[in-house]
Amino acid sequence: MIHNFNYRRATSVKETLSLLEKFKEDYKIICGGQSLLILMRQGLVAPENLIDIKSVKEMSYIDYDPKNGLKIGAAITHREIEKSPLIKKYFPVLAEMEKNLASIQTRNWGTIGGNLAHGDPAGDPGPILIASNTTVKLASLERERILPLEDFFIDIFETALEEGELLIEIQVPILLKKTAMAYEKFNIIKNQQGIVSVAASVTMAEDGAGCKDARIVLGAAAATPLRAKEAEQMLIGKKIDTKLLASVGKKASEESDPVSDIHATETYRRFLVKDLTIKVTRKAWEQAKAAG
Amino acid sequence: MKKKLLHLTVNDEYHELYISPKKLLVEILRDELGLTGTKRGCSTGACGACTVLLDGTAVKSCSILAMQADGAKVTTVEGLADGAELTPLQQSFLDHGAFQCGFCTSGMLISATAFLREDPATKDIKEGIQGNICRCTGYNSILRAIKAVAEGKDKEEGR
Amino acid sequence: MKKYTIINTPVHNIDGIAKITGRAKYTFDITLPRMLHGKILRSSYPHAELLDIDTSKAERLKGVKAVLTGKDTLGKKQGIWRRFKELCDEEILARDKVRYIGEPVATVAAIDEDTAEEALDLIEVEYKPLPGVFEPLEAIKEGAPQLHEHAERNINVTRHIEWGDVDEGFQKADYVREDWFRCSSQAHVCMETHCAVADYIPEGKLTVYTSTQSHYYIKVLLAEILGLRENDVRVISRYTGGGFGSKFELDSAQFCSSLLSMKLCQPVKIVLSREEEFTATKRRTPMFYYVRSGVKKDGTFLAKEARVFTEGGAYTAMGATALYLTGFFQSFPYVWPSYRYDGYRVYTNTAPTSAMRGFGAPQATFCAETQIDLIADELGIDPIEIRRKNAMYPGYEVPGQATIQSCGLGQCLDKIDGWIKSRGKLPPNRGIGVAAYGFMSGGIFNWFDTPYAFSSAVIQINIDGKVDLFVGSQDMGQGSNTTMAMICAEELGVKFEDIRLHMGDTENCPVDLGAWGSRETLMQGNAVKMAAAKAKQQILEFATAKLAPNIVYDLDIKDGWIHLIARPERGLSFYDVVKEAIRGKDGQPIIARGHYTPHRKGMISPAYSFGVQAIEADVDPDTGKITLKNCVTAHDCGQVINPLGVEGQLEGAIAMAAGYGFTEDLPMDEGKILNPNLVDYMLLRATEMPETEVMEVETYEPEGPFGAKEAGEGLTNPTAGALGNAVFHATGISIKNLPITPEKVLNTLKEKKKK
Repeated sequence: MIHNFNYRRATSVKETLSLLEKFKEDYKIICGGQSLLILMRQGLVAPENLIDIKSVKEMSYIDYDPKNGLKIGAAITHREIEKSPLIKKYFPVLAEMEKNLASIQTRNWGTIGGNLAHGDPAGDPGPILIASNTTVKLASLERERILPLEDFFIDIFETALEEGELLIEIQVPILLKKTAMAYEKFNIIKNQQGIVSVAASVTMAEDGAGCKDARIVLGAAAATPLRAKEAEQMLIGKKIDTKLLASVGKKASEESDPVSDIHATETYRRFLVKDLTIKVTRKAWEQAKAAG
Repeated sequence: MKKKLLHLTVNDEYHELYISPKKLLVEILRDELGLTGTKRGCSTGACGACTVLLDGTAVKSCSILAMQADGAKVTTVEGLADGAELTPLQQSFLDHGAFQCGFCTSGMLISATAFLREDPATKDIKEGIQGNICRCTGYNSILRAIKAVAEGKDKEEGR
Repeated sequence: MKKYTIINTPVHNIDGIAKITGRAKYTFDITLPRMLHGKILRSSYPHAELLDIDTSKAERLKGVKAVLTGKDTLGKKQGIWRRFKELCDEEILARDKVRYIGEPVATVAAIDEDTAEEALDLIEVEYKPLPGVFEPLEAIKEGAPQLHEHAERNINVTRHIEWGDVDEGFQKADYVREDWFRCSSQAHVCMETHCAVADYIPEGKLTVYTSTQSHYYIKVLLAEILGLRENDVRVISRYTGGGFGSKFELDSAQFCSSLLSMKLCQPVKIVLSREEEFTATKRRTPMFYYVRSGVKKDGTFLAKEARVFTEGGAYTAMGATALYLTGFFQSFPYVWPSYRYDGYRVYTNTAPTSAMRGFGAPQATFCAETQIDLIADELGIDPIEIRRKNAMYPGYEVPGQATIQSCGLGQCLDKIDGWIKSRGKLPPNRGIGVAAYGFMSGGIFNWFDTPYAFSSAVIQINIDGKVDLFVGSQDMGQGSNTTMAMICAEELGVKFEDIRLHMGDTENCPVDLGAWGSRETLMQGNAVKMAAAKAKQQILEFATAKLAPNIVYDLDIKDGWIHLIARPERGLSFYDVVKEAIRGKDGQPIIARGHYTPHRKGMISPAYSFGVQAIEADVDPDTGKITLKNCVTAHDCGQVINPLGVEGQLEGAIAMAAGYGFTEDLPMDEGKILNPNLVDYMLLRATEMPETEVMEVETYEPEGPFGAKEAGEGLTNPTAGALGNAVFHATGISIKNLPITPEKVLNTLKEKKKK
């Protein structure tokens, strides 16, 4: 059952931040609530104050400019991302991922900001956004700060959000030339959270021969979305081929830190990390080669 | 816990209710307004039996605080038919036997109604009801029922 | 192929409009004036003595009206196996001991659900934990913790089936193989959880609205356990949101709400949460299976031996029936000259295992069909051929057990064979697997020990031709309401719309034992047909007098037209005749009764449905993930009554049984179910369903109404086996441990590569 709380609805960022400051002893922010409400109904989370930011229209936007890339307001829903012509054009992997996230109903109400702030290592957006060097803007009454998304996730269900701080914007930089991204998750029932997921970004050198830069980010394979940095390094400056991909997959598997649970053993998860890393990196590589 | 005023239009009827803010939208619909067509089948927002239209989009009413729907327009299964006139989708469900125990049916109809409005017809119908669990039908009769309406729409719209 | 006016036509479901407009009121929706809400406190220990329960704090919580424990009951044990008192071993609300995590220990009624839930936290229970045992093969060992005083080594029931000389058979066999299997548990996952609204009034009468498959059983069981007169209890279940075998036993929602209502003389509603539904209701019986088969080198079956240990859980429930049926259907649908089965049901400190669609047969069929493909493979025989060679046929007698009358198995095999051949060469990593089954069409069991006919029906024809049909059957989604109305209308010769159906209320419906054991179409159907035939006879007497035909002419009624069969243009409207017939009977409406009880129909059922299913599936060699592409089923349910219903039952069965085969499981840790929610418990959604095709094989079953047999439960039997065989043919590996998960597939593939 849901425990009693003091309900406050904010209609602007300024109002929200004041409320966070006022109730900073004990509050929770609810936007889409698709993760939070389930926890509250089970009595696992029972804030004294609930700050509802669903009506904060100023956090609901998707903007693009050719220099700075995409700016997504944290209150944008998954469905809006899925359907956005801008996202489909400039970040198709993200739109594609949204199609396979949860259900249409959840996507219609749940938000990208809420998803990231929940800090679930198995969440779908995290790995893709980290692989594209996404930063997040956090705001409080005192200050605004910008953090690389990979530093935003601290531990399982724990983020860098401080007391009084609100995640207000997700910033995705322009894709470099000859860069492509790919993402895949492994699940048994479609749209379920991945038993393991991997996002990869590959940037090819100008001459198209070697790999200039790479990002490999693992989901549901550690306490947070995890960059497989050693695996990335194996690609950079190299000519990519099947043999190299196999080693990269193996390395990513070694870097991962998955659990055993009722859905899969640690061994199987490590195996999936290897398999998905190879598939996803290959896909990104092949698309990057073809890209302009 | 201090009660709040909720303004809600449900099936074109406007209501003002004093409610506890911890009430879920589904509780207001079922318990306060007596619209028991919308069901609940789980506690983790997974089954979709509670699906309603909120300002035209399909949402799980068990996973939304009623206060978040303040000022919104909600459509439940009771609001689909116009008196005795069933919607083409409801008629198609009847014709195809697209229900058995019927407990998931309200949610299915709402999800399918939204899907038929929003998405290109006849494509990815499975995706349209992916968020709704049915234990009885094995889904295929429901897909046939939706497809028949989508194809009818396609014909109408010259696709 | 006989053509009927209504039977085998795609009529709309008789409850359709109510269900698609949201008007159908399930127990889940029922509210009554002054109604209170109840909750149940459940044991968190798998095995413990209940030393003391202090309810005082809970009672003092504002809004709480009553808190009851096992001490507030009559202390009776109950169970469906009433013929065998020692098998009625469940108190439901525990008094001295708890035997599984989730067993009720106290119950609260309060003004709202939240208050009731808060009150649960205030109840202080003193347990003395006892060592627990969770696996049947452990529980049966000497020195294992004993759950019930009367059951040494935790052996609950044993069963033995035997015919022919098995040892001789094995001696004669050219090829003998033995395999061990583990069949998992499964949750029913009815969309409507178990729930009840109990309303006790000072006149000493109790009304219980509940989601059930048998209002008759619940009425009798409640009356007994509460010490009430049987017919001072009324059970109402107009709409049931799914059953699948989970809802014909007395459950905690029904019992606790009744206890509270009797105490308070106010209605009390208890709805189990989805978590309680997973952890504290009954489930499919897990089985450890040993199967040994001996065959000739041309594939002729000679001898089969099977041994099973089932995980019984804490109480008998319906597990004793599952134990027998699994052994019986292990031999189906083939001619085994000799067969021996020994089954042991063992108590364990886990949630009780009981009846779930298939009732032990899906487990049996998985093992049998998996082994047959392995045998066929070893001997180089085509999987369809080996089945054809040994298939049951009409007139076959299972020695001492059953007589098979109608049997379309041969034709089913032919149709599936044709389909497989039409698929041609398959791409790599794809396989087609088949499985055949036979299933009972109406369990003849009377372990409930009722003196009533197994099914009854009453018909009353009114002056405007409207026909009141009273049945005892329960529609839980399988469509029996529509089926009964169709049978009545066809037999009587009226229109489907002329039927006004009355069901789901023990106060004004005749007795039927309920929707389990695939019995409604055959048993309730026969009762309805009998009543309709008698009513028709009364009408025809009047019509004959009016038409005054020569005695050699027969009359019939079709679509409301009473006519000479030989000269159909000569006739009268049914609606006109009814008026006059009623006047002629001194103003009495036409009334007729029908009933059905099987006599001398063997040990299991008067009739058997048959079928063959083929599954085409891809296996991802990198991850082991299985994707279902096609599922084709040829089945024989005799005469199809409700074609939309049959198709729906088939597709629903595939989803449920495929889930059993590769995605659904109830993993436990020392008696604690680890995935009691719909995220971690993985059942198929629309996106996992394959393309499905049904091929009807029509036969005529003399025991069934219009030749009809069951369609819906038997169809859950073959899928796990067909799926496993598809994996076998795609990859060369055979997995004998359900569910067939990607991880198991991958690990087995790796091991195979090593060899």
